[in-house]
Order: sequence, then C-alpha cells, then structure tokens
Amino acid sequence: MPGSYEAAITLPGDLHARPAGSLAVAAAKFASAVELAVGASTADAKSVLAVMGLGATRGQRITVRAAGPDAAEAVTAMIGILAEATPVSG
Amino acid sequence: MSDEARVGIVLVSHSAALAEGTAEVAGQIGGGTVVIAPAGGTDDGGIGTSIARVRRALQRAGTSAGVVILPDLGSSVLTVRALLAEESFAGPVAMADAPFVEGAVAATVAAAAGGDVKAVLQAAEEARHARKL
Repeated sequence: MPGSYEAAITLPGDLHARPAGSLAVAAAKFASAVELAVGASTADAKSVLAVMGLGATRGQRITVRAAGPDAAEAVTAMIGILAEATPVSG
Repeated sequence: MSDEARVGIVLVSHSAALAEGTAEVAGQIGGGTVVIAPAGGTDDGGIGTSIARVRRALQRAGTSAGVVILPDLGSSVLTVRALLAEESFAGPVAMADAPFVEGAVAATVAAAAGGDVKAVLQAAEEARHARKL
C-alpha cells in the first residue's frame, strides 16, 4: 500500500558498521524514501555512511519512516534488521 | 537493478596492506556479495602503484555490469589512467573521485544493492560529504 509509515524500536545493540551496511543494502531495494531518526538526528537509510553517522547506541529509540509505494514493507524490513543485526558487534 | 552480475570494485592504493584492509572492511559491511579487488603497492611489494596489479584487479572484479575504481591518492589516478589508455575492458569502467575508505564502503553497499556503475560511482562520490561526527 502506498503512503507513509513509521515504526520505532529500542536498539538492542549499538548500530555498528555491519548492521548499517545491512540496513542500507536492504533500504536501497525499496522504491520508497526511507529515513531513520534518533533524537534530533536523521539519516537516509540508503546511505550507509549517514546511518553510521547517526552514532546510535544500545537502548536508544530509533524511528523508521518511509514514504512511497512500498513504504510499509520498507519499515517492516528495517525494523527486522534493527532488531536482529544490532547485537552483532563490529 | 539486477539480480545477476553486480558491479565490481577495484581499490588502488600505494600500500598493499591499505588496499587489502579497506577491501576487508568494505566486504564485511557489504555482506560479501560484491567482488572487491585490492591493487596496492608496487610489483615488488613496496610502496607505490603498479599497472600490472591494477590490471589483474580489474580482470578479477570486472563483470558484465562493470567496475568502479577507487584510487587512494592523486598519483594512483595516473596509474589507472595509464592502464585505461592502453587497454579496454569488457563492461563499463569508471573511476571515483572519493575518500578511499568511505568511498569503498559506500560503493560496495550500492553495488550489493544492485546499483549500476552510475549508481555505484555516485554513492562513492557522495561519500565526500559524509560526516562522521
């Protein structure tokens, strides 16, 4: 369904390089614009460097927002990666 | 976007260790689906660049989707240009004007996502504007 969706998750681990890469690779496959927000900082989820630049750490609340034709799927995918990938250090 | 051949990455550095280490980091972040070929150091393993090493790396990383080359410093650019002037490769070849580590990581992620040479090149060059802090 096209539109705008958002969801939030409390990070189970720090958002290090590897999960940032997984997020960006997955985000790039969606047509929708996908944004991550932590506190006052936001990043284009399709930019691995911007995602790492968030410096998001364990326990922080991270919000995923997507807008476009596959926004709901994009948000679901991002939340899934954030839930699973962040405990991996690196 | 293609599920078949992904754009390959060639890292040209004055140091073999720098090229190999950068390839290792970018490969981990990119999930291991992209061929990243390091071409660092001179033919005898010293500090400098080698046309022969760049040629081998291009042959290894080049796919039908093409290859994006990242040079570490300006004089690596000369080596790449000298090679491209004397030889042609199957598929498109582009050189990125980008910071070495950040550009390699961004390019690898773009290639892993199925981007074409233009998209991978753009991702690498956008790394010039990325802030770490």
